[in-house]
Amino acid sequence: MPLGHLHGLVHNAGRENTPVKATLEAINQMQTDGLIGKYAIGGAVGATFYLEPAATVDLDIFVMLPSAGGLLTLAPVYAYLKAHGGVEQDEYIVLDGWPVQFLPPGSDLEMEAIEKAVATELEGVSTRVMTPEHLAAIALRTGRAKDHNRVLQFVEHDAIDGRKLQIILARHGLTSKWKQFEQKYLAGNS
Amino acid sequence: MSKPKLKARMRSLSFDEKIKILEKLRDRSRAIAASGLRGKSVKDGGTKAIKKNRG
Repeated sequence: MPLGHLHGLVHNAGRENTPVKATLEAINQMQTDGLIGKYAIGGAVGATFYLEPAATVDLDIFVMLPSAGGLLTLAPVYAYLKAHGGVEQDEYIVLDGWPVQFLPPGSDLEMEAIEKAVATELEGVSTRVMTPEHLAAIALRTGRAKDHNRVLQFVEHDAIDGRKLQIILARHGLTSKWKQFEQKYLAGNS
Repeated sequence: MSKPKLKARMRSLSFDEKIKILEKLRDRSRAIAASGLRGKSVKDGGTKAIKKNRG
């Protein structure tokens, strides 16, 4: 029964799941049950797929929501997870110790990033991670110091395809922002 | 092992291994937060006062 299965996953009871694995299993179950559509791991955990692991506060899950009468809301997602041990904390829902932030796409860039995400597995659990080019584009657009640092890491470690990145940036009106970034951080680096 | 080599090795780990490291980093961060040490900077020479225990 889906609910009982989800309860066990969230509480990590009787299973040797690592927290992130258990969280992804819970998310996949929600997808199976129709509470969410496609999703993709973004943010720092998404970047970790391509770079070295670095301490992060939360797990960012960009998620398509099924629209009901034109209203998109995470309330059913939160209710579902809270009913099975998730704890709501500010903008997060804490699952097995991991603050998880569910982020409906706020732009065409994020929607595209979800659509084009790479299928992968974590400890045998299917999941999807944004491409490095989309992660870099989103970070560039967000523009905080830590986002710029992430873009720099992608560039410095050859983790992105420059041509693909430029196409994405152009499609989403971020070319000038990239030029400013390049001027500020990469000038003089050939 | 030099730092650049260690970083390169970390980047080459599988996603599974990287997530396990993230989880350990989180566990360590939570332990530090619970111990009351958060607020004391180490990088700047550790001279900042611990804010949490004032008052």
